[in-house]
Amino acid sequence: MKSHRSYPFTFVVAALVLYVTFFIIPSLSGIAYSFTDWSGYSDEVEFVGLDNFRTILSPDENYLSFIGNTLLFTFWTIIIKTVFGLALALLLNQGVRWFVNGYRVLIYLPVILPTLVVALIFRSILDPASGLLNSALRGIGLDALALPWLTDPRIALYSVIGADSWKGIGYIMVILLAGLQTIPKDLYEAASIDGASAWAKFRFITLPMLMPALMIVTVLNVLYGLRVFDIVYALTNGGPGYATEVLSTEIFKAFSKGQFGLGTAISSILFLILVVTGYLVIRVMERQSDRE
Amino acid sequence: MTATHENRTTARGAMHMLALAGASCLVFALTGGASFAADKVTLTYMASQDWVKDAEQALAKKFEAKTGIAIDFQILPSGQYFNVLQTKLNSGEGPDLFGGQSGVTDLKLQYNVEKNAVDLTNEPWAAKEDKLIAAQSTLGGKLYGLTYWDILGNTWVISYNKKLFAQYGLSEPKSYAEFKAACQKLLDNGIQPIYEPVADGWHHVLWFPELGPRFEQVTPGLADALNANKATFAGNPTMLSAVTELKEMFDLSYMGKNALADVYTGASKAMASGKVGMVLANTGFGSLVEHDYPDMKASDIGVFLMPLADNQQVNINPAGPTHFIYAGSAHVDAAKQYLAFLAEPENVDYFIDNTPTAMTLPFTGAKSKFSPDVQALFDSHKEARGTVYQTAVAYVNPQWMDIGADLTAMFTGSMGPDKVLANIDKRRADLAKAARDPAWKK
Repeated sequence: MKSHRSYPFTFVVAALVLYVTFFIIPSLSGIAYSFTDWSGYSDEVEFVGLDNFRTILSPDENYLSFIGNTLLFTFWTIIIKTVFGLALALLLNQGVRWFVNGYRVLIYLPVILPTLVVALIFRSILDPASGLLNSALRGIGLDALALPWLTDPRIALYSVIGADSWKGIGYIMVILLAGLQTIPKDLYEAASIDGASAWAKFRFITLPMLMPALMIVTVLNVLYGLRVFDIVYALTNGGPGYATEVLSTEIFKAFSKGQFGLGTAISSILFLILVVTGYLVIRVMERQSDRE
Repeated sequence: MTATHENRTTARGAMHMLALAGASCLVFALTGGASFAADKVTLTYMASQDWVKDAEQALAKKFEAKTGIAIDFQILPSGQYFNVLQTKLNSGEGPDLFGGQSGVTDLKLQYNVEKNAVDLTNEPWAAKEDKLIAAQSTLGGKLYGLTYWDILGNTWVISYNKKLFAQYGLSEPKSYAEFKAACQKLLDNGIQPIYEPVADGWHHVLWFPELGPRFEQVTPGLADALNANKATFAGNPTMLSAVTELKEMFDLSYMGKNALADVYTGASKAMASGKVGMVLANTGFGSLVEHDYPDMKASDIGVFLMPLADNQQVNINPAGPTHFIYAGSAHVDAAKQYLAFLAEPENVDYFIDNTPTAMTLPFTGAKSKFSPDVQALFDSHKEARGTVYQTAVAYVNPQWMDIGADLTAMFTGSMGPDKVLANIDKRRADLAKAARDPAWKK
């Protein structure tokens, strides 16, 4: 009996040891280091209590604006990717009659492009002087709309959000499309017989039935958005000034400068934000799902 | 039965071969790929991108032909170099030779040369190296590195299009007021006064710490006071003037409308286009423009000093990429031979002749390729020169890119000049504290 109870444990023990060794212990030691002044400039490491966290949360520093940028990026990419991803998924599920697979491939294509390539493409498109977008706008007489997309601090973050959304919409669309295809057709047929409008069918059949898929894409988007690094680093490197700096790029810069204690403190804060936000999103969506 | 036995024997043989191959690979990996032949030594030399010129690689081939000692260049992207080097040095697995920026602060903080590098004070070339430059590779009275870099050629001055200046009746400005008037005149005539590549994040920083000699001229002993934590950047009127003037240049569109997106690799094209009046560049810029765009001659490009805060001092940065020998190397003597070979007069001249961007090297008797304009500038300012602040003042160089981000934020209006200076002080204090600098102890 006893050996039976320990039997499943023997299967997971190897994986557990690896997980604890390479994930749990480094994560915990990372949190521990966030209370030190560990840096590349001295062999000594001293306990500094909450100093690193005080620095990060100080209004005199820029870190609060980096947290704000991270949250703004996450919020808008969730909205844009989900709305457009859902619209495209609905179109490809019902609206488009021919070349459906071709469209799916075309919309999904940006997802498989390396982020660096996407960033280079958008850098050339959004260049204020010679970029494709501004040249096109000037060409059709809309000079006033030809803006410094990546160099104006008021709009640079939104340009990054746009570029990232373009890359990520296809991925969201595929998940939602899979969700749409699991909805039984007879529900729509029954609703049609009852005289339900297209909006009513969407509101009372599609949305509730799609809630599990929407929950997945929202959680994925939240986790991705809060940890975003590559598109920001490659497109603006956090600039102009600090206008597009997010937590992950700042963590990278802190480590590059040998500020390991501070870097781990920012990582700890990001970890905390991830856990809290992820938990809240799941709770809210579960409640919504129960209500539906 | 026999077939099975043969199969087993073959399988066992194959296993032995595999084991041998694996063991060989392991030994090779553990020895860091060093050559096995007793008479053949291969030195590994790790350096950041751009620090190793083609001419040095050619000299390394000559060195190998002469001595049998090969050089294995391990060149890393500049953004990763410092981290990789630090990891190797801290783990006791450094390359035989490594590149690093000289400068007393960096020697101690970034490379810890007293622990990681070999003392080269008594090497034959040490006496021939320029004293000002050798001092930047010296710590505690010991010379640790060979600076094989065109120090004077890397002096940053304003290069200007002589034809445009003549066309609009402009002369070389000697004060900020004259500089501003020249910029305005060019702008009024549809010429972009200055090509300033802010997007790179590092170039526009040059306008500030490179004015160190001027700060020192106005406030003698300021660098020492800053290093002793008895002075600050914030509140210094000359520094505030320089940063405020830089902001004014941006606000008045003297840097063009695309400055925040411009990159330094476009500077020679911009100058050759005839649509740009000036570029802050090193003294070899004229030759580079002629090399890239032969229609514009180096002689068409004149030079003058950065006139912010009315500067008229030549800004020398005696620090530069330097060769160090790793203290844990198994081939210290061979590495010393390589450095001695590089410093031989004919090899110094070979390097200068075969490196387009090198005007000279800091050794007694080395040839000079400076244009007459640059030579005239140096000759006319023999006494009016000093060391730039990223070298003279501790904890400025490590925050170079941060200063760049602050200046960009200042250009875009989200930070004031006084805050830029205050941030420099703040980061200096943080770095000094991290380095356990006694001057910053409470």
